[in-house]
Amino acid sequence: MLRFLVRRIIGAVVILFLLSIVTFVLFFGVPRDPALLMCGKTCNPDSIANIHHVLGLDKPLTEQYWIFLHNLVMGSNQFAQGPCPAPCFGYSYHTNDPVWSTLMDRLPTTVSLTLGAAVCFLIVGLGTGLLAAWRRGTLVDKTATGGAMVISALQIYFLGPLALAILVYQTHWFDKPAYNDFTGDPLSWFTGLIIPWVVLSTIFAAQYTRMARSAMIEQLQEEHVRTARAKGMSRRYVFFRYAWRGSLIPIVTIFGIDLGSLLGGAIITEYTFGLPGLGQLAVQSVFFSDLPLLLGVMLFAATMILVFNIVVDATYAFIDPRVRLS
Amino acid sequence: MGGGGTAVVSGEPGPKATGEAALTGRSPGQLMWTRFKRDRTGVISAYVVGFFFLIGLLAPLISKVYGKNPYTVYADERPDLFDSAGVPVHPNGGISGQFWFGLEPGNGYDVFTKLIYGIRTSLMISVAVTVAVVVTGILLGVAAGYLGGKTDYFIGRVIDFLLAFPAQLFFIASMPVVVSLFVSPRDETPTYVRVLALIIVQWFLGWMGLGRILRGTALALREREFIEAAKVSGASPWRIIRKEILPNIVTPLLVQSTYLLPNFVTAEAGLSYLGVGIVEPTPDWGQMFSKASTELVMQNDITYMFFPGISMIVFVVAFNLLGDSVRDAFDPKTAR
Repeated sequence: MLRFLVRRIIGAVVILFLLSIVTFVLFFGVPRDPALLMCGKTCNPDSIANIHHVLGLDKPLTEQYWIFLHNLVMGSNQFAQGPCPAPCFGYSYHTNDPVWSTLMDRLPTTVSLTLGAAVCFLIVGLGTGLLAAWRRGTLVDKTATGGAMVISALQIYFLGPLALAILVYQTHWFDKPAYNDFTGDPLSWFTGLIIPWVVLSTIFAAQYTRMARSAMIEQLQEEHVRTARAKGMSRRYVFFRYAWRGSLIPIVTIFGIDLGSLLGGAIITEYTFGLPGLGQLAVQSVFFSDLPLLLGVMLFAATMILVFNIVVDATYAFIDPRVRLS
Repeated sequence: MGGGGTAVVSGEPGPKATGEAALTGRSPGQLMWTRFKRDRTGVISAYVVGFFFLIGLLAPLISKVYGKNPYTVYADERPDLFDSAGVPVHPNGGISGQFWFGLEPGNGYDVFTKLIYGIRTSLMISVAVTVAVVVTGILLGVAAGYLGGKTDYFIGRVIDFLLAFPAQLFFIASMPVVVSLFVSPRDETPTYVRVLALIIVQWFLGWMGLGRILRGTALALREREFIEAAKVSGASPWRIIRKEILPNIVTPLLVQSTYLLPNFVTAEAGLSYLGVGIVEPTPDWGQMFSKASTELVMQNDITYMFFPGISMIVFVVAFNLLGDSVRDAFDPKTAR
């Protein structure tokens, strides 16, 4: 287990390193000048050159990258805005706040949104999927499968505005979604996030219903299930003790991927509901050409994906005793 | 798995079938086609999907017959149809005999032509991405699977690396970068550059899944006897790939592409929704969603929302059902 973890973590660090190079070259090497946005109306070649110098953009690209990497690992005292302890992504061009603390400010929103939705869609999705598999071929199954088919074709950018329009703007049943700190006011934290949770988990629940149903049906055709039934175990016992466990493997894989990418920023959901999470931060940083912030969000999101990949692979060992990590 | 060889059922015709033609063998393709035709869901969804492509293809013709185009700003042309906020005065988004799907709140574009042109733009982009992804998937996947060794290892690591990219975030972040490769940031960005950029960024992170599947298929095929036979009889690797491997990967390729294309459509729409894809006045499916999520629409009349919304649901559901049917037709063993 330990060897597996060490090896995978080293692999992840290598990938992150390569990813940082690619994103750095992509964002800093291409002539898309943040200085143009910053100097505004009083733009002249001198002021642009001055901004370049202040931001360190006049240095060669390799040197800029070296400085970035050095700051990330060791921290830096070179910034005019103040000291920047490791992990130092520098300061935002647009707001002049340190990137790392901005990320940490936005993280609770994304985590609340993702975990709340994940709880909903796992319970509803897996429950419906298992029910459909248990009652395969009946009306219950057909309704669940058909409904899941249509709902999983919905998009957040349709369902989100639709829910907002009906529940908030037309009927005024709910307030506009907002993020309130959980520790400050748990109730308004809950009410502020309920629409985003429902919208996000509706679509995911439909996907998990389809997935759980087909994984379960596949499992029920396995030989060990047939043997167990032939030995005289009840259908219920086999279903919930044998087949269910096997059907978890593909679901855990997808769930890990989904969770990893959602925690890196549920971009469309946050944008739709105006929630100040990492995804919204990413969209903003693109519009302001805020390169340090963008690089920070990008690396953070990639780290999430890689971490959850490792977690998923480690989870296999617990679900499936045949899997030996090495 | 098709293509290995055809079972030719020849021999004597049945006792009373003196006048009938002898039983002929059917190719795997024909078998698949017969199975597909028997699947009613599959046929219906194929018609629906075909209908969408036809609309996209014939959009200029349809709007000519209909007599409008998606660029006319009816808020200026016919101010009597809008209230002071720019919302159509007639109920249900201004639907009338003249404007079949109503008028867009704000600028007052004609929704019907906007939708069919929007479908045209979105499908065009998605088809281009699919073609690029399929070509890349074949090239790299088959190369990795068939050649094995160092090539396989290298391509495998590239795939691992690209899979770690936060895809949506990367799309958003790299759109302006790719655009700025073609035009200077001070100039207006022409539409074709945006289209090209959308195709490039989606292609860049779109091919890995297909590549992996084709690698697996090629890897399995490499060990089959007919490949060995070709090798022994002195066929070049290029010939083996072209004549022996490629015909055998058509099945997974076709199935995967039918699953991929709707994903590209929805991803492209998502980018336009966020404002980094196609922008007004170019009509685009996703960009209609971004209009639909403005307070003007949400507060006053939500009819407008349903035209892009419902049409996209129908499209995606039909395409997914088609994908399932194609898969079942090729591989009747799969359980539903």
